[in-house]
Amino acid sequence: MTSSKTNGNLPDLDLGWMDQHGPWDTHAEPGKYGFTLADIQIGEYGQVPEESNNQTGRPRGSKPRANSMRLGGYTVRTKSDIWLENASFLYEEALQRQWSSATDVPWESIKPLPDDVEQAQCQMATFLTEVEFVAGDVPARWISSTTPDYFEARQVLLAQVMDESRHMDVFRKRALANGGGLMRATGATAGFVGGIDLSRDFTEMSSRLHISGEGAVLTIFRMGELMAYNDAEKTIYRLCAQDEARHVAFGVMHLRYMSQNEPDRREEIHSYLDEAEGSMLTDAANPAGRLTQTSESLCILLGGGSDKFDEGFRKLVAIRRRQLQEYRKRVISAGFGDRFDNGRSRLNELMAQAAA
Amino acid sequence: MASEFTFPSLDWLQAVREVFNTTDMYRGAGSGRCDCVVGLKIEGAVFIVEFEGFGCTGVRQANEAELENVDFYLDMPYELWKSMLENISANNHAIGEFTLNTLDLGMEQGIAHSKHEDQYRQDLFVRYNQTMQFFFDASHRISTTFEEIVAS
Repeated sequence: MTSSKTNGNLPDLDLGWMDQHGPWDTHAEPGKYGFTLADIQIGEYGQVPEESNNQTGRPRGSKPRANSMRLGGYTVRTKSDIWLENASFLYEEALQRQWSSATDVPWESIKPLPDDVEQAQCQMATFLTEVEFVAGDVPARWISSTTPDYFEARQVLLAQVMDESRHMDVFRKRALANGGGLMRATGATAGFVGGIDLSRDFTEMSSRLHISGEGAVLTIFRMGELMAYNDAEKTIYRLCAQDEARHVAFGVMHLRYMSQNEPDRREEIHSYLDEAEGSMLTDAANPAGRLTQTSESLCILLGGGSDKFDEGFRKLVAIRRRQLQEYRKRVISAGFGDRFDNGRSRLNELMAQAAA
Repeated sequence: MASEFTFPSLDWLQAVREVFNTTDMYRGAGSGRCDCVVGLKIEGAVFIVEFEGFGCTGVRQANEAELENVDFYLDMPYELWKSMLENISANNHAIGEFTLNTLDLGMEQGIAHSKHEDQYRQDLFVRYNQTMQFFFDASHRISTTFEEIVAS
């Protein structure tokens, strides 16, 4: 391609911009999954720098603009600070597995419930609306702090924000759908969850949000099918669990990348996990923990009424143990399983406390 | 529903796969791209079901050792498999206690297992749960007969 100052009958044009471009003659083609981010990782366009000095919002692979001002004030400019190996895969998966709370939930299956069960369901819906605000807000802040050179990870987080937005709306809808309403806020956004937003570093945030916080909520979503009283609630919990599992996968894969590429930061990450384990059963962030407002409502839902509280509590203990077991296996998968062998983890102690 | 397919059998899985791959409704509503290899253990018989992109790319008979390589496998008593499929057939999809996730939660050891113990891979059962559910829900479109299993 060449630029020209004159062209037949056209007026004189400044076509100098035509020569200003990144690598040319690219021919990306759709693959068997459609035209995905993975299909455009070609040449320089697919090269992710270990460090980025891109402070101007320049798309990766485009030609830099001279004398441009700083735009983002990006603080995340080191690849290992945010990277994971399967970011583009998770992003495409997130796009292609979206659902609508308006049309994919069989709302007509919700029928009147006993008052105590409806109140408990509304309490859980209130709690989940509350925590999903945090799960959306916090990653959103980090997106805007991350250099565009790491756009794949940013886009997974953008998709997460969309997911959390849907979770907020679907639980709000559930609370208002069956004669109840929103209950008293639980304060779950204080304590450990509030602390997520105080993270000074993306990995600190991710270990708190994706591994500890969302891991615990994932178990609750899965268990949601046990405390669902109709197909609508079953569908809500199942579809939210799918989304949440994707967010947890982000955290596991990021910690795995960090563990392999920044061994000097392993001790620091262990300290985040220490902190998470310390509040796993006591903090308001975990509805299966000891906060009565949520744990009592869970027992009523799981048992089938306040008169079957003991049966519900037995199931709640099973949920707590499952949360802890799944947390353990995810931490091992992320590359930090040594804490379970060297006595650092408090997990055995927590297992013993699960029935308290 | 001209043909009848016996459960469990490779023919039955292939018929379900055909329905799953050719029915549009199984691509939306929280389903969609799905990449995983799933094992099924049914009364001593082992099958492998592979999902790639938007479809089920293959089903085949396998042996116990091959379960080492799957992301997760589903294993439950034959009577429960049968009850689940009868529930699906009666309602066109699983309801109540017969959704895969509820079955998993209802049993102390669950129905989704792995030999590798890697939670990232085992979480695929949750991450792709709606797809797994749609796959078995597709069985309502075929006529299923059940192999008589004598309890040992």
